[in-house]
Amino acid sequence: MQKKEFLMHLIGEMGNFILDENPSRMVISLHQEEDGIHLCIIDNNQRTEEEIEDIKKALNCQRRPEMAGYYGAMAGHDLVGHARLNLIGWQVKHGDVSSTDNGTKIDLWLGSDQFDHGKFNIPSK
Amino acid sequence: MTEKKLYLLMIVLILLLVFTAFLSEGYHSVLTGFVKIQSHPARLINDYTIIGSEGGALLNCSIVGLIGLFLVYINNVRLSGPTIAAVFTMMGFGLFGKTPLNIIPIIFGVFLLAKLVRKKFSEYIIIALFGTALGPMINYVILESGLKGNMAIFIGVTSGVVAGLLLPPIAIAMLNFHQGYNLYNLGLSCGFFAIFAAAVFSSAGFDLTIKVIWNKNPSTLLVFLVPTISILFLIAGVLLDYKKFFLDFSRILKLSGRLPSDFMEMVSASGALINIGLLGLICSLYVYLVGADFNGPVIGGIFTVMGFGAFGKHVKNSIPVIVGVALSCMVFGKSLSAPGAILAALFGTTLAPIAGEFGFLAGISAGFIHSILVDRTAAWHGGMDLYNNGFAGGLTATLIIAVIDWYVGNKDEIIFFRKQKKHVNKE
Repeated sequence: MQKKEFLMHLIGEMGNFILDENPSRMVISLHQEEDGIHLCIIDNNQRTEEEIEDIKKALNCQRRPEMAGYYGAMAGHDLVGHARLNLIGWQVKHGDVSSTDNGTKIDLWLGSDQFDHGKFNIPSK
Repeated sequence: MTEKKLYLLMIVLILLLVFTAFLSEGYHSVLTGFVKIQSHPARLINDYTIIGSEGGALLNCSIVGLIGLFLVYINNVRLSGPTIAAVFTMMGFGLFGKTPLNIIPIIFGVFLLAKLVRKKFSEYIIIALFGTALGPMINYVILESGLKGNMAIFIGVTSGVVAGLLLPPIAIAMLNFHQGYNLYNLGLSCGFFAIFAAAVFSSAGFDLTIKVIWNKNPSTLLVFLVPTISILFLIAGVLLDYKKFFLDFSRILKLSGRLPSDFMEMVSASGALINIGLLGLICSLYVYLVGADFNGPVIGGIFTVMGFGAFGKHVKNSIPVIVGVALSCMVFGKSLSAPGAILAALFGTTLAPIAGEFGFLAGISAGFIHSILVDRTAAWHGGMDLYNNGFAGGLTATLIIAVIDWYVGNKDEIIFFRKQKKHVNKE
């Protein structure tokens, strides 16, 4: 796996966010390909449409290199207080959030400028 | 569109300061004062309104602020909460410690590091702008250390570049100590670095005694400067969105302010400008009520609070810290208008996120502890870290967060084991 420390930060902050809601199930799946990484987090906590929109907004915020390069390093470290998804949003290419039958699925896409998340997904089998 | 208006507002502010400088004094006096400031020691506390002249200090403050704003613009970084806070802070310290000459080597050092690790300078620009707090170290080597001529200039500039090269890793590591509850993280980082620098200078036999140059008779012009600027920001906030400015300001009051809280992104520029204006007026009122002097360092302190009105501070989370500092002064019999006390009250609001996250009492406690500690910390780094309150605030926040972190962690564990026990008993 590339960028081990970076990924640990992202997984830590996402874990913090999911565990804030005290779910009884959390699955984190990580796939690396040549030009990108897909991080998928699934829990069994049902969220409202409004909550899902808020998560989407935080994960797809405007790119802020000045924030990502400095404050982005706090992701996954600062565990006193609420999790902050914007720390992740500044650093990932794209974030998808959707409801599942009994919870929420969050897909994070990381990669270079050439990386197209639309052509990349978790293998179905 | 909003960003263009923010640039316009900042340029109007800088021009207002330049205009005030030349209006209050003649051309000659302003320029002579400005030149004198460039060749004067800058360690804490050197009030430029008395070293140069009030006009010279205002011109210096404007040029330092303009350099910051220019760097933000040419690097294509968004003018928003953190960058507005950085420019305001630079301008504030342009009244007591920062000069165009002593900030450039540090900024260059950070630029060099970005190039060395193949990153864009924009990723470290906030560190570069706030990192200029170490400017006095350069002046110290050149003007106070006893070194002479080109050698002094070379070592002074090199020390600034080295500081810039080391600041990004230090600043990122320091964030994890206080977990974003000290807004002046570069104050803690620069203080940490300056302790080592001071040790080196001390080992070399250099004198690091701190002297305080404090303007006790500021002019009426300086007294009305901050309230005027505050009103300008209030008007700008209303004009930017006259329908929603109050609602947006109310939304800002609900945020903890923990780093990084860009109020302009999280809520709106309009609400943030109202917050900036109100903080300026409240701080001015406090300074007036305790009878402190509206001189360079005090105005610098208010400018810094105003800047962070877009990036973590608001009326609700700042007041408890100021109350805590005032309470500490009263308990220990210190004058509320003394230099240390008034600066601790203004800059102590670096701990505002503690009040924002954990409540009014936690904020008062933070202010109380901070006020006690900040009296001692300047001596540790020989006054070379201009953000001495950020340094003391970082240590205070680290202490408080360490205790809360431990308590929260253990509380969870106890509850977890209780649940486990119940679960086992049921089985």
